[in-house]
Amino acid sequence: MQFSINRQAFIKALNDVSRAISSRTTIPILTNIKIVLTQEELILTGSNSDISIETRIEQSDTGAQLIIKQPGGITLLATFFSNIVKNLPADDMTLSVDGVRASITSGASDFTINGQDVHNYPQLPEMDDVQSLSVSAAQLVDIISQTKISASTQESRPILTGIHLALNGNDVKAVTTDSHRLSQRIVTLTGTDAHVKADVIMPAKSFNELQSLLEGQDRVEIKLAANQAVFDLGNTTFYSRLLEGNYPETDRLIPTESTTQLTIEASALLGAINRASLLSHESRNNVVQLTLENGVVTLIGTSQEVGRVQEELVTKSVEGENLEISFNPDYVRDALRVFNGKAVDIKFTSNLRPFTLTPAGETDDKQLQLITPVRTF
Amino acid sequence: MITNDTRKILHVDLDAFYAQIEMRDNPKLRHKVLIIARDPEETGGRGVVATANYAARKLGVHSAMSASEAKNLAPDAVFLSPNFTKYRAVSDQIHNIFDAFTKKVEPVALDEAYLDVSDLNLSGSMLAARIRHEILRVTGLTSSIGISHNKLLAKLGSEYNKPNGVTVITTQNMLTFLDELTIGDFRGVGKKTHEKFKRLQIENGSDLRKMSYDELRSQFGKVGEHLYYQARGVHFGEVQWQRQRQSIAKEETYDHFLHSERDIQYEFKKLAAAMIEALKKHHRVGRTLNIKVRDDNFNTMTRAITRELPWPLSEELLTENAQNIFEDLMAPPFSVRLLGMSMSNLQSNSFEEMTLF
Repeated sequence: MQFSINRQAFIKALNDVSRAISSRTTIPILTNIKIVLTQEELILTGSNSDISIETRIEQSDTGAQLIIKQPGGITLLATFFSNIVKNLPADDMTLSVDGVRASITSGASDFTINGQDVHNYPQLPEMDDVQSLSVSAAQLVDIISQTKISASTQESRPILTGIHLALNGNDVKAVTTDSHRLSQRIVTLTGTDAHVKADVIMPAKSFNELQSLLEGQDRVEIKLAANQAVFDLGNTTFYSRLLEGNYPETDRLIPTESTTQLTIEASALLGAINRASLLSHESRNNVVQLTLENGVVTLIGTSQEVGRVQEELVTKSVEGENLEISFNPDYVRDALRVFNGKAVDIKFTSNLRPFTLTPAGETDDKQLQLITPVRTF
Repeated sequence: MITNDTRKILHVDLDAFYAQIEMRDNPKLRHKVLIIARDPEETGGRGVVATANYAARKLGVHSAMSASEAKNLAPDAVFLSPNFTKYRAVSDQIHNIFDAFTKKVEPVALDEAYLDVSDLNLSGSMLAARIRHEILRVTGLTSSIGISHNKLLAKLGSEYNKPNGVTVITTQNMLTFLDELTIGDFRGVGKKTHEKFKRLQIENGSDLRKMSYDELRSQFGKVGEHLYYQARGVHFGEVQWQRQRQSIAKEETYDHFLHSERDIQYEFKKLAAAMIEALKKHHRVGRTLNIKVRDDNFNTMTRAITRELPWPLSEELLTENAQNIFEDLMAPPFSVRLLGMSMSNLQSNSFEEMTLF
């Protein structure tokens, strides 16, 4: 195998596939990057067995200046190889492979490193019973950013580390919950006429990696099979394993009525929450308290060890019964960030029941963050 | 019989604990007859009195009595179902106060404990005053304390001046105090023994002390022996402070030794999850994270990280720290047969994150 290429174009492709590569893996060869050269294109693959990313550089891509001399393949230790490429002296580079030995030249520099046979690299999964649909990248980013905060990071209940996607025609409902909070986003897909009916749980970690690849994309073709989802992003293909099992029924968790309602600019509350967290983070409890009394809303952060902060909030409106509620400020902060500083409605039923944040004036639960309070003794 | 027991033991007992908490939290109950038990009208007469306030006790209501019997004695009483989650939380606050004075605490119940304060320089009555004041300040509740050189007398003392009182029993006033106790006040005297004593015309401590060791032993066996000593204020039982849980630990032995860091991380995560669950169950947090590693040659290594504030109950954080300790202890290639994770320097946790399902 031998080719030469523009180094910056190659680095971009290396960075893309490296997102899937982990140094901690049970399959040693997955710490490597797979490099395959055909008569027409160069294909790079990275994988951690949960997600795989494949990216192609075509000979016709003028910016990449790919010159194919001899097709072939190799796998090379990803971090090591990337570091070499990033430090090469010239604008272009040549990679030539003899057996499992790779030689990298650029300007006056010449590296020779050992790799492994490309045939030892696992095959990407085959897919049966595929359903496909086309989604605008902007809508996909919207879904991911509105829901990823509530996905669990704890493996004790693996199913909760996923984003639950219920697709029905052009309608998508995405839900995440770590059992302390819940995010829901419902969208109607635009510019498409999908006939998909599917119910899948995709690891939220995968979605995070996908989000960074969506930048600059217009539309994404998605293929769904029983245990795999594939996202076609032009020259890059993103594979994700799907989580197996039943996602908890979440509709019944969303309150249908409220006794106290507060409307406030997300940015105003966010600022106050950040200030109160300065104290709660110094305490073992990480709890702040919100009191709504006769139209006056006060946020209080106390740490037995450090001190206390109290702040009266500027609100747009307060209605309903007086209330005193304690919660984890980190959850509310994460939820508020999703609203990009806009006004939100916060609805409470009691100090021991979950409360919801929705865009001000909207009642359809299409964009909803739900948070459980903390019970203090 | 002379003993030179120089210990300093407190018995602290909250006054009508559950009832007092409910009266604290609901001022409307303060002047009512209050019985902590499910209303017999709701349960069809079943249920037992957990406790009753002093107004109810005046009417003859006492704990462990059937709720319907209590209703007969106090027909106007307010019945309230017990909220043990709340009582446990208040109990944790109180035990935290004890912990601040001494680690030698033997919890007897949610509302009752023995403290061995022999090592402290303050007098027993000064300590009792401070502890009672601190309990009142933090929880708003009153308590009674007995002070003496052994557990028996301390316990009798706290009962003597209830509610909201302090009793000091010294070697000087001890016998006067014991003489006045009715026979039923002594420990181990149940219904049957009580009747037997009545037949023998033994009615109080003074009568009891007139019986010889052999007499008591032949009549009452083991109980008799104890009563002989009790009548003389002798009791050598230690405050069982070490019985309190000092740490919460989880460990696992692996039949297939672990060789990869990924496996180690995975196993630490499982241990952390199990440990957090146990800590949550006991409403505890801890300041010291301990990690134990045993290799295939049975070399056992332990390391601990102590923080100023308790560790947050975060699986991620604990796993990450365990992993860091592990990397300090072992370099690849390694072969691990046992991993352990425990939390010590425990204290109680006063909040609970609620869950959706």
